[in-house]
Amino acid sequence: MSNSEVNISRRSFVEKSATAAAALSIAPGVFLHTVAEAKPAEQAVTSAVRWGMLIDTTKCASGCTACVSACNTENGIASHNRPRTDQQWIRKVTLRDKQTKHEISLPMMCQHCESPPCVDVCPTGASFKRKDGIVLVDRHICIGCRYCMMACPYKARSFAHETVDNTVDYVPRGKGTVESCTLCVHRVDEGGTPACVEACAEAEHGAMIFGDIKNPESEISRQLVEHGGKQIRADLGLNTGVRYRGI
Amino acid sequence: MQQLNKCMHNTLITIAGLAMLAFSVFAVSNFAWAGEKPSFAPDVPHPTNGSTECVQPEDEMKKNHMNYILHQRDETMHNGIRTETYSLKKCINCHVPKNTTARFGDDEHFCSSCHNFTGVSIDCFQCHMDRPMGEKPLGKSPHNAQISKPVPTKVAGTSIENTEGASNNE
Repeated sequence: MSNSEVNISRRSFVEKSATAAAALSIAPGVFLHTVAEAKPAEQAVTSAVRWGMLIDTTKCASGCTACVSACNTENGIASHNRPRTDQQWIRKVTLRDKQTKHEISLPMMCQHCESPPCVDVCPTGASFKRKDGIVLVDRHICIGCRYCMMACPYKARSFAHETVDNTVDYVPRGKGTVESCTLCVHRVDEGGTPACVEACAEAEHGAMIFGDIKNPESEISRQLVEHGGKQIRADLGLNTGVRYRGI
Repeated sequence: MQQLNKCMHNTLITIAGLAMLAFSVFAVSNFAWAGEKPSFAPDVPHPTNGSTECVQPEDEMKKNHMNYILHQRDETMHNGIRTETYSLKKCINCHVPKNTTARFGDDEHFCSSCHNFTGVSIDCFQCHMDRPMGEKPLGKSPHNAQISKPVPTKVAGTSIENTEGASNNE
């Protein structure tokens, strides 16, 4: 019994290694920025990693909403044509310097704070931070009080006012609960990258980098060391997982 | 007068006893035959994918499926453990036919066939899908997103070579 289990895990390990090797040699000269290691499905997340994102606003094109539409498709978010109450996990924001008229375009979403105010105020424990730094809403426990929405300085959370009938099976969503960016946790747990990051790269902007900010070898850490990355509202001392360049 | 009361009392006890006896005979006639489903029990649809064994023996699942699912729910939500065995998604993928028109609430749906009968209401399917999902919206599985696309990095107005070749793979 135990022997066969060992063999199965060994086999899957060998397969994964082979896949990784094949992926690395996909084409000569192609530089792979992130080779994420998928954790085994039965393994719990640990605080050895902290997922984060670095957004280069100098590469983010104004008018491009590839990340927003990718997020909506991935998570089954549909508009009810009521912009004031429609759910929104990621949005494009334009900052304009009044003096110089210089404009910056950037995507804004849950910043996955190390000390999230939404978690502080949640009366039921539905708002929580996973060990790997991803801030989530456990909709099984959420009572829809929307306290977290008031506490969030980034206006990152939305409330599902209406019945959700276009859910996908890996992102269950429903009426009467609060929701926000999950960093595509269903993808991340399987070694993937968030849909927005992928869409940004596909649109050839490459303004978003996703990775483990605790791993000094990761692309995001190297970029952060080299160029730095600013927090929005750093004065609040939340130590956000999403950082920006060029603001 | 007192004697009359006592007589009535005895009669009532006898009637009650007879009623209980009649009920137990009825109950036994319904349940006694091993393997035979009582006529009033619901028709629970069996998996259509050919599998004959559940993740636990049938009796255990009948009694305790909710505990397995609840435990897995918290493990997945809070610890990112995404094993399939006890996940609600696995239940649905196995027990509900792919192109079914039955929705939760219909007697033909696997979950509601029994839940309607027992009068136990659940709210799983206010959020979760009550049927297997077909094609993923993007037409690709999250599993395929193992490696992020090469990011075209502009260095002084020129992009690094080979990145265009890679994007042609799409």
